[in-house]
Amino acid sequence: MPKRRIAVSRIVLYLSALGTVLVALFPIWWLVNTSLKTPLEFLSGRTTLFPHEPTLAHYHEVLVDRGFLRFFGNSALIAIAATALSVLVGSLAAYSLTRFRFPWQLDKVFLLWAIAIRTIPPIVLVVPLFIMFRELRITNVRAILILAYQVYTLPLAVWMLLGFFREIPRELEEAALTDGASRVQALVRIVYPLVTPGLAAAAIFCIITVWNEFTYALIFARVPSDFTVPIAIATFITEYRTLWGPLAAGGLISSLPLLVFTVFVQRYLLRGFALRGVF
Amino acid sequence: MLPRGFLCRGEGVSLGSGRGSVGIWFERRIHLWLLLPAALLFLVLTVFPLIYNGYISLHHFAFIRRVFRFAGVQNYVRLSQDGLFLAAIANTLRFVGLATAAEVALGTGLALLFNARLRGQRVMLPMVVLPMMLPTMVVCAVWVILYDFEFGLFNNILRSLGLAPVQWLSDPRIAMASIVLVDIWQWTPFVLLLILAGLQSIPDFLYEAAQIDGATTFQRFRYITLPLLSFQIKLAILLRLIDTFRIFDKVYAMTGGGPGYSTETISLYIFREGFRYFNLGYAAAASVVMVLLVLAISILYARRMWKEMRT
Repeated sequence: MPKRRIAVSRIVLYLSALGTVLVALFPIWWLVNTSLKTPLEFLSGRTTLFPHEPTLAHYHEVLVDRGFLRFFGNSALIAIAATALSVLVGSLAAYSLTRFRFPWQLDKVFLLWAIAIRTIPPIVLVVPLFIMFRELRITNVRAILILAYQVYTLPLAVWMLLGFFREIPRELEEAALTDGASRVQALVRIVYPLVTPGLAAAAIFCIITVWNEFTYALIFARVPSDFTVPIAIATFITEYRTLWGPLAAGGLISSLPLLVFTVFVQRYLLRGFALRGVF
Repeated sequence: MLPRGFLCRGEGVSLGSGRGSVGIWFERRIHLWLLLPAALLFLVLTVFPLIYNGYISLHHFAFIRRVFRFAGVQNYVRLSQDGLFLAAIANTLRFVGLATAAEVALGTGLALLFNARLRGQRVMLPMVVLPMMLPTMVVCAVWVILYDFEFGLFNNILRSLGLAPVQWLSDPRIAMASIVLVDIWQWTPFVLLLILAGLQSIPDFLYEAAQIDGATTFQRFRYITLPLLSFQIKLAILLRLIDTFRIFDKVYAMTGGGPGYSTETISLYIFREGFRYFNLGYAAAASVVMVLLVLAISILYARRMWKEMRT
């Protein structure tokens, strides 16, 4: 190929890459921009690419006046509790599945079911879960959501942890067992310290999933004091159409934890997100 | 179906070394005890609800009026005659088709682009992937602001170009496309990452050998890249199919199913019947139909994938 054509095609490639970056980033910049503008500026009908009189008033409004601090508290509490439960239960299961043989292929049935769950749309479980929690007299919305979120987080945790547990050589525990430790002691003292990175990665993906969750929160959290952040933002969008400043500010603040966590799990990004889809 | 050696290899760990009879009894079955909590959660939260759903769907269950009586297949008959439900199915399938096709095509193209060893790639890639890291509700917030009829950026631009503003979310012919666009913006990066991982696992020597044999760029793409990438592409399609089929949050927040029923989807329909009108029996019947649809789609597709992988 002649040199000029190569140079031209390189330029085209660079331009398309830059264009992609622009398309990906611009809407996010627009959110930042809107969150810092005075209402007068964004309702003026002029398009301004950056805030001319930047203000933090919307951040104050959304956190204090609109009660977002409480929604953040709800979301954080539910995310941490649901994640802790999933990682604990999921790690026991993953350990067991990678170490022992099961009768009647129970292990395979279990894992394939864990994949199958991910194909089921969350809305279809909602009617029976709603009735079930009623009948069991579980009325605390946080407790309901922590349990209901296991539908998402437990398969995710099991499948992610499986890989990490598989990499731990079995000889280490066996040495401990011959030294007279019980199976539980070997698990707690030898195996868990070695899979900590895996536990952390699985936990972060669970937190991201729960932090984002919308369907169950919308159905079970019916009064504002129970709202999680996504429900609060949805209420903002559907009920106060043009309160853009606080909406943008609230949205940005609620994205921060996810962005921070994502940096930590970059290595496992694909694995985790593919698992969230189905695998 | 699972890869060999995926679970426990060889004999498995020997069971039982505890002292005392209770200890032995416990440790003999330790593998079952460890699996039990997870299995119980699955049973109570997924297996039982799916079966229970089928049972409820055979009843008139008006939650508020406290009516619960056997109805046979009446709910299903009503569903099959309900124009709104049929429209919801059609809209959902349209959304699934459009979004999946666009995301996989665009994502594959972008993966090829970002595999071309451009300078500054390591800085650009995380930026391109950013949309998929945002919570979906934040994504909705971004686009509601951009789409706004009076003050939104898009219409501001159209007006300044002297064009007529567009009702992005309140014109029944456009609303669905607008929501598809949001999904494309959010999830194309996911397909990009998935395909890029596949591309980077293709060994370089294949291309070098082809080049020596005089293959053109197109031939190298057609006969090396595409066949080796086909699994990743199919996986991307499957994952996006499953994910777009449940579309709920974006529609709920951005259009509420309107205008008219132009963006009504199956999830939204179930939500409204179940948790606005509290016709739980009817909502359960719609849920059963939805499960069957998604199972049919994903099983057919996954089976084809497995078959092709074997040959």
